[in-house]
Amino acid sequence: MIGDIFFQLSVRSVKVNFTRSILASIGIVIGVVAISCMGMLGTNMSLQVEDQLAASANTIVITADAIRMGPPGMGGSSSSSSSSGISKTQLNKIKAVVGTNGTVIPIYSTSTQFTSGNIQGRGSIYGMNPSDVNEFLTIGNGTNIAGINEALIGLTLAESMGVDVGDRIKISSASEGPPTNNTASASRATVTVVGIIDTRGTVSDSVSTDNGIVVSKEWYTAQYGGKDQYTQVNVLANDVDQISEIEEAIDAKINTDKKKGSLRISDASSQLDTISSTLETLTLFCLAIGGISLIVAAVSIFNVMMMSVNERVQEIGILLSIGTETGEVRRMFLYEAFILGIVGAAIGGVMSIVIGYSVVDAMIGTTAYFFMPSSIMYVPAGMFVGMVVCVLSGLYPAWRASNMDPIDALRSE
Amino acid sequence: MTDTPLISLVDATKTYHLESGDFTALNHVSLDIMENDFVAIMGPSGSGKSTMMNQLGILDVPTTGNLYIEGRDVAKMTNLERTHLRRDTIGYIFQKFYLIPLLSAYENVEYPLILKNKTHDTTGRASAMLEAVGIDKEKGEHRPNQLSGGQQQRVAIARALVNDPKILLCDEPTGNLDRKTGFQIMEILCELQRKGKTVILVTHDPKIAEYAKRIIRLDDGRIVES
Repeated sequence: MIGDIFFQLSVRSVKVNFTRSILASIGIVIGVVAISCMGMLGTNMSLQVEDQLAASANTIVITADAIRMGPPGMGGSSSSSSSSGISKTQLNKIKAVVGTNGTVIPIYSTSTQFTSGNIQGRGSIYGMNPSDVNEFLTIGNGTNIAGINEALIGLTLAESMGVDVGDRIKISSASEGPPTNNTASASRATVTVVGIIDTRGTVSDSVSTDNGIVVSKEWYTAQYGGKDQYTQVNVLANDVDQISEIEEAIDAKINTDKKKGSLRISDASSQLDTISSTLETLTLFCLAIGGISLIVAAVSIFNVMMMSVNERVQEIGILLSIGTETGEVRRMFLYEAFILGIVGAAIGGVMSIVIGYSVVDAMIGTTAYFFMPSSIMYVPAGMFVGMVVCVLSGLYPAWRASNMDPIDALRSE
Repeated sequence: MTDTPLISLVDATKTYHLESGDFTALNHVSLDIMENDFVAIMGPSGSGKSTMMNQLGILDVPTTGNLYIEGRDVAKMTNLERTHLRRDTIGYIFQKFYLIPLLSAYENVEYPLILKNKTHDTTGRASAMLEAVGIDKEKGEHRPNQLSGGQQQRVAIARALVNDPKILLCDEPTGNLDRKTGFQIMEILCELQRKGKTVILVTHDPKIAEYAKRIIRLDDGRIVES
């Protein structure tokens, strides 16, 4: 191709109109950068979420069918909860089904307000057996809960409230409405932080401790009531491959009477599907926005190519009159569009890596996934799309040039 | 050499459909040009000289009637066949030279060879043609806008000859040149005719037409003298 006289003519034409050509290529650069960066951003988000969810891939989450709107026991019969949670009988059935194939972790949870000094925070509070904490949570600083008035706090919440190990937090339920279970007293609403839980990120087991507090189940039920009415039960299967089998067995055992309401059984895969699907849609939407810039670039390339054809009418007439085939004239202008495309795509490709890396780092906080094939592939893909758009933009001008009447073309000044 | 005309225009009419009405540029014209002929086509403006040149150069086809080149009916050829016939059989020399501005003088001459052979010239033919018309190697590196009118026309002649065509179509070849250079160019054309080329010349200059062996006069789209 490089030795082709028509390619050389195209290169010279681009050089003669260098400024105009570069400006047109900048459109392609912007388009390539836009779609590459958008694609990489979406993919990096997906990869990060997938990785985080995979950490709890062996977890089955069992919840009551209806979503609890407030803590169990609060508001009594007027509580917004339409379900009383998972009963002790149901828990025992689950334990019987799981047996030695996994660990069953019953969890109470609600959202509430925390106060430390003058700083207030809001988040989730989980009540569980302290011996279960180490099964799926990592205490980065401090120790596990030992006494009833002790608590673990998520790293994000600890940082935002300026709380450290040894500090006391007042857990207020006043804003949630008056507790009906008067076993909770004011002194019980204060806990001492004994440990800080490492960041978990996006998790599939519905235990988002980053912005929450973990207390013993005794403290929790004393504060909020609802003893033996668990919000959820997590089953940590010993073997990930057994997940479906265990789920089916639990379902068969506890969801026998549909009229009484059934328990919802889910695992990471279903949540992963939902999140992946949402992120894919988001990525596609972002790509479409990036695509708009490529359309603008295409119009710019089309304009430059039409200018090139219109300025070279007489030259086209000369070429056609001395025996140049129409296909050869067409090729010459397509080469020109291709050159604009390849220059734009090359610059766009390099800039995509630099800008994409910075954007991913700034927005996701990690570039660990940036160079993974499914992420970095957006750079060559963006470059390819940029070049294709360029060549497509040159199709009509090239066709117009090759179909000129040589006599009319020669007459033009 | 055979008795069959190299070019034969038979009862050819060319009508242009304009907004103001139909305009007949060539009106039932018949003409035979033999191989190695030297023909000058003369006539006032609007007489149909350019239209006839376009027909003879296969840049256009008659509305009615026939044009035969080497016995082949041009109207029955495909566009590609006509393009190849133009490339291989006809050499064009224009009043305004019409060199390709993006190519050097040498590349302009080499261009028809590339069209024909689909590869760059390795035989030295393009250089030899340039030398034959008096353009040295150094001048051959220049772009057309760096050459004088006479030099550009010499390059155009070299380009027209490089594929060894049988026919040289010259449209006012001296029209943009001073008198001395014009005569030099005509000497080159005469020499080419002596070497066996068929030269067809369009001119309004009687002094230039004197170089031709045969003068065809056109008026109002008809041949009035042949």
